[in-house]
Amino acid sequence: MMAGSALRRLMAEYKQLTVNPPEGIIAGPVNEENFFEWEALITGPEGTCFEGGIFPAKLVFPPDYPLSPPKMQFICEMFHPNIYADGRVCISILHAPGDDPMGYESSAERWSPVQSVEKILLSVVSMLAEPNDESGANVDAAKMWREDREQFNKIAERLVRKTLGLPPPE
Amino acid sequence: MKMKAVVATVISLALTTVVIGNAYYQKKQFYPSVVYLTNSNPSMAVMYLQAFILVLLVGKILRKIFFGQLRPAEFEHLIERSWFAITETCLAFTVFRDDFNPKFIALFTLLLFLKAFHWLAEDRVDYMERSPVIGWLFHIRILSLLMLLAQADLYFIHHAYAFTATKGPSVQLVFGFEYSILIIMIVNILIKYLLHAIDSRWEAPWESKAAVLLYTELAINFLKVLLYVGFVAVMVRIYTLPLFAFRPMYETMRSFKKAYNDVVLSRRAIRNMNTLYPDATAAELAAADNECIICREEMHSGAKKLPCNHIFHAACLRLWFQRQQTCPTCRLNVLRAPAPEPANANAQAPPNAPHAPNANANANVPHAPPPPSAAAVPPPFPNMPPPPMMGWGLPPPPPRPAALASLSADELRRLEGTERRNVEARLQLLREIQAMLDASVLLMQQYSNVVANLPLNCNTVATQTDLNRTEPSPEASVKVKTEPDVVPTTSTYKPTPGPSTSRDDFTTDDADTTSPDSFRDSIDADAEELRRRRLQKFTTEK
Repeated sequence: MMAGSALRRLMAEYKQLTVNPPEGIIAGPVNEENFFEWEALITGPEGTCFEGGIFPAKLVFPPDYPLSPPKMQFICEMFHPNIYADGRVCISILHAPGDDPMGYESSAERWSPVQSVEKILLSVVSMLAEPNDESGANVDAAKMWREDREQFNKIAERLVRKTLGLPPPE
Repeated sequence: MKMKAVVATVISLALTTVVIGNAYYQKKQFYPSVVYLTNSNPSMAVMYLQAFILVLLVGKILRKIFFGQLRPAEFEHLIERSWFAITETCLAFTVFRDDFNPKFIALFTLLLFLKAFHWLAEDRVDYMERSPVIGWLFHIRILSLLMLLAQADLYFIHHAYAFTATKGPSVQLVFGFEYSILIIMIVNILIKYLLHAIDSRWEAPWESKAAVLLYTELAINFLKVLLYVGFVAVMVRIYTLPLFAFRPMYETMRSFKKAYNDVVLSRRAIRNMNTLYPDATAAELAAADNECIICREEMHSGAKKLPCNHIFHAACLRLWFQRQQTCPTCRLNVLRAPAPEPANANAQAPPNAPHAPNANANANVPHAPPPPSAAAVPPPFPNMPPPPMMGWGLPPPPPRPAALASLSADELRRLEGTERRNVEARLQLLREIQAMLDASVLLMQQYSNVVANLPLNCNTVATQTDLNRTEPSPEASVKVKTEPDVVPTTSTYKPTPGPSTSRDDFTTDDADTTSPDSFRDSIDADAEELRRRRLQKFTTEK
């Protein structure tokens, strides 16, 4: 039952995202054989240090989706207070109520079946624009974001250029 | 990685050959060579290394046979659990340091080796649910592996039992216990495997599968907890505290507690759903676009309405309640919410549409009399179920102190004078006034909450539409409201301040506004002003 309904819902979401894609976001299954692994491309939000970058990420859905949240991981190099060094994204919408890796989130911001891939990706975009430096998935990045914004912006610019295949700035 | 493994194998093989060759060259005969080898520490070290590498090789071969290629997640999981197991094994060595010999190490290595295969089998069976295609090879592999592992576990349990029965307690106690845990694990894996296998055969959705899994989890964890408690008791009596068993014991107890809570709470929620919550009517279904937001499929029948007026498939709700006992849309805790009353269902907004409770509340705003002029303070929104995020309800209206003119001469006299009863009467009057003021403040907060939810419809910022679109919770509105606070380069700035704090300063700022529209405008103006001031501050600081 679960695998079936999860599959149907993922297909519905895929269709929805294809027919009516949100701005700056592309997402879909890596291959149509396996609907439980998706790839997403996220454009860095305008007016932020990540502007212009195109960041690839992968989403892995649990068999009981949408009852449990998917996992999301950037597959490019990222430097951001809410992204672990290995690319995993740490935002409250991706955590099931009950598990709280950082111990600060209220359950109201957590995963529920009402959420969707689109909402997750939009949350990630807004996370890129406004890091939450209270939850330090990457403590170095959080510290730099707070104390040395110039350096942070520089690193972000390098990452943006890297995702576009451009050489690092002089 | 591959290269390194090959190099290590070749080096160890070469070393072993050299060592054995050397022994044979020196002693010429078989037995003297063996004696020489066992007496020479460096040679034995080489032999142990060789044995270790052989074990790894055998492990690899078996893994290839039973699992094929490991998925990265499985591999990661395996490594993580291995480290814990190795640490705990080392701890176990300290308890049994008197029995310490090569055979003992070999037995522990074998235990670790078998454990690793149990873990892999568990991960693989969990993966069944997600995997789109399960071939015959998969079934054959898993079943034969499970049978082999069960055989091995049973053999070692039997061996440990026989050994302990004849020769008294020894390290075999630990093995007996560890293999008992493993055989329970096998049973658990087998049940899961059968469930998934049956599920994948059936075309029709199988709704009770999750419930069966939940109860299996409970029973298995209960067995494990019993075993751990028994083991620790025995170990304490005979040896000492088995520190090495504490971490797994703690984890088992925690998961048992969780499984127990899950079962109890979900049973209660599902019973509530079946008995208390009404079936959604056709009109209500139509208002919600006939779509169940959990599975995103059409609702025709079998839909239930929660106390917060949100509608879902009963089957979807049941699955969700097995995890969480809240409304998926507004997170109302269904176990704490009062049972719905049909009489209250008059002013219903489309139940599944965004901001349903707010729409409800808005409709009431113009009718609610301003508190100071009202003779008695009414609870503001009689038709609205208590909003989920406002833990504090409104107290019943306090008695209103009588106007001076309406007091009788006798009552007036009681307020004058300096005797004790006069003072008491005056204090009483003052207390009534205070209660009135408190009630007004509470009411004011209610109003501002309602108004704070209004700007949602027009003020949504592009990056936050996700949070606001279907979540009518005050959190969403708080986010929008605090948007102007988000100014870069401040070390004290909080991206998502708690709702309570922002709600407070919010109400004190604008307590005099009553009309929602002017209220919103003034907020915008205030926010603009705030942003301007902060920016100014930052530029001057720099």
